Amino acid sequence: MLTDREIISTLEMLKNENLDVRTVTLGVNLLDCAGAELNHVRRRIAERVMGLAGRLVPVCERIGQKYGIPVVNKRIAVSPIAVVGAALSPADLVEVARTLDAAAREVHVDFIGGFSALVEKGMARGDRSLIAAIPEALAATERVCASVNVASTRAGINIDAVLLLGQTIKRAAELTADRDGAACTKLCVFANIPEDIPFMAGAYLGIGEADAVINVGVSGPGVVKKAIDRALATRPGLDLGSLSELIKKTAYKVTRVGELIGREVAEQLGIPFGVVDLSLAPTPNVGDSVGEIFQSLGLLAIGVPGTTAALALLNDAVKKGGAFASSRVGGLSGAFIPVSEDLNISEAVRNGYLCLEKLEAITSVCSVGLDMVAIPGDTSAETISAIIADEMAIGVINSKTTATRLIPVPGKAAGDQAFFGGLMGHSAIIPVNNAGGDNPFIRRGGLIPAPIHSLKN
Amino acid sequence: MNKAILSILGRDRPGIVAAVARALFEQSCNIENVSQTMLQNEFAGIFIVSMPPGVTAGDLHRGLCERLAPLGLHVHTKPCEIAEYPCATAPCEPFVITTRGPDRKGLVADISEVIARHGVNITNLQAVFKGGDAPVDNIMIYEVDVPAAVDQQALARDLRARAEALRLEINIQHRNIFETLHRI
Repeated sequence: MLTDREIISTLEMLKNENLDVRTVTLGVNLLDCAGAELNHVRRRIAERVMGLAGRLVPVCERIGQKYGIPVVNKRIAVSPIAVVGAALSPADLVEVARTLDAAAREVHVDFIGGFSALVEKGMARGDRSLIAAIPEALAATERVCASVNVASTRAGINIDAVLLLGQTIKRAAELTADRDGAACTKLCVFANIPEDIPFMAGAYLGIGEADAVINVGVSGPGVVKKAIDRALATRPGLDLGSLSELIKKTAYKVTRVGELIGREVAEQLGIPFGVVDLSLAPTPNVGDSVGEIFQSLGLLAIGVPGTTAALALLNDAVKKGGAFASSRVGGLSGAFIPVSEDLNISEAVRNGYLCLEKLEAITSVCSVGLDMVAIPGDTSAETISAIIADEMAIGVINSKTTATRLIPVPGKAAGDQAFFGGLMGHSAIIPVNNAGGDNPFIRRGGLIPAPIHSLKN
Repeated sequence: MNKAILSILGRDRPGIVAAVARALFEQSCNIENVSQTMLQNEFAGIFIVSMPPGVTAGDLHRGLCERLAPLGLHVHTKPCEIAEYPCATAPCEPFVITTRGPDRKGLVADISEVIARHGVNITNLQAVFKGGDAPVDNIMIYEVDVPAAVDQQALARDLRARAEALRLEINIQHRNIFETLHRI
């Protein structure tokens, strides 16, 4: 027999705390669709994606209804297109992006990720073509997401690729100048990219993965915040160790939901279940914010002194709860701090509490990086590359994933507002030091070697 | 097997279960199942007992009344036939139906009528009505077994329509979600 407390607290999580399954992402292996003939590649990709994903949306909706838990987004992640389309030209790869976009629309998923390249140690022909195709591919499509892994703890940082990505981001922003550079909201640059992220824009299906896999992204910043608020209302003197324990237990519950839904979707589709990615992923809605958690913990706003310690506590507690709840935890699993997608974080930028440097500092203890950060439109490609290099260094040295999703908003300056719409949200543009200045350091290019794996200080 | 089912009602206080159990023991009955609950200040208990050969439910009833009536307890007794229980063999899916909303007479009657019409068995019902319009003050929680042959979509549609007419917020969820969330 269930207790009324168990039932009512579940309903509260769903109704007032925005508990949901943020995404069920179907990984689709396209490696055997490779070829040198564009139309052949396009046809194979379309057949494969639509063949596997045709039932994804209705199955997710039926299972969501069965448990009363909304599956908010249904998405697809494919093998890196730089590998699948290694023999194709940049112009051809833009056509491949259009094919992916059309297939995604056909099966009613909102994003398809995997327009990706892995270049941490060096760039092959297909990688160069893909990076060259990114600006137009993202500008010409609605649902395609791109990612490039430019660094890893084992390989170091490919600064040549970082330089190229700075230019790529500038070009993508220019091509979508009428939408505040929105193409850049679909491009992530990574260090140590996981092969099984279900969240966009970084989702792709790793080379070491099977034919198809179901990965689930669970969120729940609102659930964590409300749990903290409730505990502090009854016991205002709770110390940080006790709050960490509370967050851990809450993360456990949220992860269990993801696992239940993910396994059932996988079973119904006849596709193996992959991982649950438990990430506190905000949306631009009140009550669904990671920034609000900092305030519940007692900080004036995200960005003030104490923020790094608070985020370290939060991220670690989330991972511990998730790891206990599921033996298949993967992806990014931690706290996201995407500026424009989180109403509270973008407010902290607007009010001057959160600057780019503090944001970079806190990415050393969270699961992503400089995510959805709008920067002035006149920031040079070189400076963008230098920001990326800094962020990659944090990931490489600390053996963790970091990423950047920077949007140089054309024609806008620091303090102006950028609007990306929908889930991508809006944000004040954050000031960048030496935005347009010269940077001979980064221009030197080459490879920053992999770090030493002993002498850890 | 010679079994009886009995219900005991009375104002709650310490010692009711002890008194009933002692009375059953003295009549050589064996308790097989007990469920007891308290609603406000009232005790309610249901006992399934096996009786010695030759003893009837009527004999047991008379004996229990003699011992328990002086304690202010009301006893109802009937012979028990296990085969009467529905859903014992048909495969079922356990769901939980929850409603919250303004209080009025007939809420349980209206919602349970829809559940019954679809041939769905209620396995547990908890309801609290404190009155008034505050949704959290008036809650019904039905645990139900939905037979595989029942059209779940039609059941959900009819329940939602009835709940809307009653201005109730309704949730219909598979039971696994609650166990998954709260239990290791």
